[in-house]
Amino acid sequence: MAVPALNLPRHGAGGVDPPKLVVAALLLLVIVAGFFVSERFGTFRNFMNVLEQSAALGFVSLGLTLVVLVGGIDLSIGAVVTGAAVLLAGTVGANEALMVPMLVGVLAAGAAFGALNGLVSIRTGVDPLVVTIGSAALLTGFVLLYTLRPTGAVPIWFEAFAYGRLFGVPVAGLVMLLSFLAVGLFLHYTPLGRAVYAVGGSAEAARLAGIRVDRTIIAVFAASGFFASLAGLYFASRTGIGDPRVGDPMTLAAITPVVVGGTVLGGGRGGVVGTLLGVLLISFLNNILNYMNVSTFLQWVIQGSIIILAVSLYVKRSNRL
Amino acid sequence: MIRLERITKTFPGVKSLDAVDFEANAGEIHALVGENGAGKSTLIKVIAGAHRPDAGTIHYDGTERRWASPRQAKEAGIHVIYQELVLFPELSVAENICLGAAPRTALGAIDRRSMREKAAEVLARLGHELDPAAPVRTLSVADRQMVEIAKALVGRTRLLILDEPTAVVSGREADLLFERISKLRDEGVCVVYISHRLEEVFRIADRVTVIKDGRIVGAHRTADLDRDRLVAMMVGRQLDDIYPPKKPPPLDSAPVLSVRNIRMPPRVRDVSFDLHAGEVLGLAGLVGAGRSELAHALFGSMTKESGTIALGGRAFNTPTPRGAIERGMGFLTEDRKAEGLLMLLDTAANISAPVLPEFTRGPVLDRAAEIRAARDEIARFRIAVPGPQSGVRTLSGGNQQKVLFARWARACHRVLVLDEPTRGVDVGAKVEIYGIVRTLADEGVGILVISSELPELLGLCSRILVMREGAIAGEVSGDAIDETAIMHLAALGERRAA
Repeated sequence: MAVPALNLPRHGAGGVDPPKLVVAALLLLVIVAGFFVSERFGTFRNFMNVLEQSAALGFVSLGLTLVVLVGGIDLSIGAVVTGAAVLLAGTVGANEALMVPMLVGVLAAGAAFGALNGLVSIRTGVDPLVVTIGSAALLTGFVLLYTLRPTGAVPIWFEAFAYGRLFGVPVAGLVMLLSFLAVGLFLHYTPLGRAVYAVGGSAEAARLAGIRVDRTIIAVFAASGFFASLAGLYFASRTGIGDPRVGDPMTLAAITPVVVGGTVLGGGRGGVVGTLLGVLLISFLNNILNYMNVSTFLQWVIQGSIIILAVSLYVKRSNRL
Repeated sequence: MIRLERITKTFPGVKSLDAVDFEANAGEIHALVGENGAGKSTLIKVIAGAHRPDAGTIHYDGTERRWASPRQAKEAGIHVIYQELVLFPELSVAENICLGAAPRTALGAIDRRSMREKAAEVLARLGHELDPAAPVRTLSVADRQMVEIAKALVGRTRLLILDEPTAVVSGREADLLFERISKLRDEGVCVVYISHRLEEVFRIADRVTVIKDGRIVGAHRTADLDRDRLVAMMVGRQLDDIYPPKKPPPLDSAPVLSVRNIRMPPRVRDVSFDLHAGEVLGLAGLVGAGRSELAHALFGSMTKESGTIALGGRAFNTPTPRGAIERGMGFLTEDRKAEGLLMLLDTAANISAPVLPEFTRGPVLDRAAEIRAARDEIARFRIAVPGPQSGVRTLSGGNQQKVLFARWARACHRVLVLDEPTRGVDVGAKVEIYGIVRTLADEGVGILVISSELPELLGLCSRILVMREGAIAGEVSGDAIDETAIMHLAALGERRAA
């Protein structure tokens, strides 16, 4: 007999989860529209390209989902993405021997930076929104003190992360999907995953039930820092260099899939499946808009409209209770 | 005024109302009583148009009506005041009263002067003095309630429904409320009054309808009933059975919890006591005496300044909730919604929360074992919930409390601290909870009960500590336990002269 998974909080009362359905329907709509827009859209190759290009957005929004689930927010994501790319390319440069230790080091540093965000917020009682704005400014400042233009280098073999294919499937996309799977399993099947939802619902009730609230909060911020630095590695792999502006749009970009995927700002409700659907929705949308030669700025307009439209649908549904 | 005939309303899995007949007349206060989950709320919502009945008819003011929306019922003069007041704290009394019906000037702007006059007029009709310009946030809960009632009067309400209005106000404020609603009755308004407090029912209601498990048990004039008979109707059993028989506590054994000179300013100044295995120890005192704070200090959810704690014979001087749980101590908090239940999680997760490591195999949760355990607890505590995987948010107060008892019964084997264990719980669930407390004590758990309901402490405990201004003012036990002795200690800090 299948083991029933944790009955996670839902928006509606019944067995369906409106946000996931809505975002899945939108995704389907966009994909169907894609077939009409261009004959090149419906190819395996194009789908794999979309997957590859969605990796960075996938990483950052996956980490952010965890933070939002406990009721927090992480606005330092973009700074960490940049910091990771610059740190890697800047320190490795021509010295290939440093590459593997630095990969590990950068991911660890990203996780530590995130953990520190969580710790400072807990210890000072300052809202994570404010803490992460501050830590982002601090980190960005250090990066820009170090370099104003793209710097350093990574070994050519590292390109495989961003551009490599395994049986035609992009490596980066694969890593992203596996990350979603891992985090999804973690949320459903581990005590810490349970704690994430409990703390997001009510930190005080969780604490009085013996759940280690502080540890949970620090863990999700660490995860957010980890996945942001993974996105930084992806950009370093893609461009071969450490660009001090590469992470700039990522903070706000990360929020879109999380919210569109039905994870509620404020915590306790939502999950990674919605976020993954949100990532794919944004990526496919940008893909067909590119085929239509729509300007980047108009793409923003469309993305913004989708956020507001999708979320307004969820609100209506949950109010209907 | 209102007459319901054979109203039936079914929710998935539950028949909430089963062929219910209900009638209330203009110019009467009609009490509607029943345990939580008996169907009172559903009945009100049917009357107010918030639920559409599956079968049956509603006659209002002599004609059959089918409400298409709550708004339609409201326009017909039906006004419901729910427990959670719907007021805007930053707006003035007048603005709240006239909300949505504010008088306009010729230019379409809100006419503040006539709005204030209108509000003052309604308040005068209630006989309640309030400054219409005062912001609602500055008012007491009782005054806010009056604002709610005033809101009802603006709309020419003919049927006023009050859902447990005294749950949030204290004695004197309740008196005021009764006076005001009696006045409305005398003006010909039909008042339907829902309450758990039976004394109130006898005091103000002309008639009472008892509902149990979605069926009407009976409707009587209050003059023809007495308290025991009413309770018997509600619970389906006699009053004597409320408290389980007490047992003499084994005071000769070593204490399971030993507390010395606990200090946590400003509320807790100096508290020492011993609690023995199998003992049900009461902690009485006035509101603000520091009882809940003491409980938090023992459990480690607030940090004490000084003092020592020994739990199970071992020092436990820097408590944390996690540490307390690991040493076999549980704490059922006063506010089950904010500090007790994990509202977004299901019943099984709520029960297992403190002992989650028990349901973990390696790094992974054993969800199947968790659900099995929850199923056992649901049966053991007779929790009315569709299953282990249903949410706790929509359960009645009594069932929510039983979920928390199931949680702590499983988690703690030494000490259980209960802070107002039957608050907001109906009579039937109270009886069950008292039985649970007795059973746990018989299993050897030392239980500390904080309660503001003295009869409850008297019924449960063989020893009662009285706390006053942050310190233990005295102790009563055995035959010396009576309400006057406790009140003397609680209010004056001294024993009554013999």
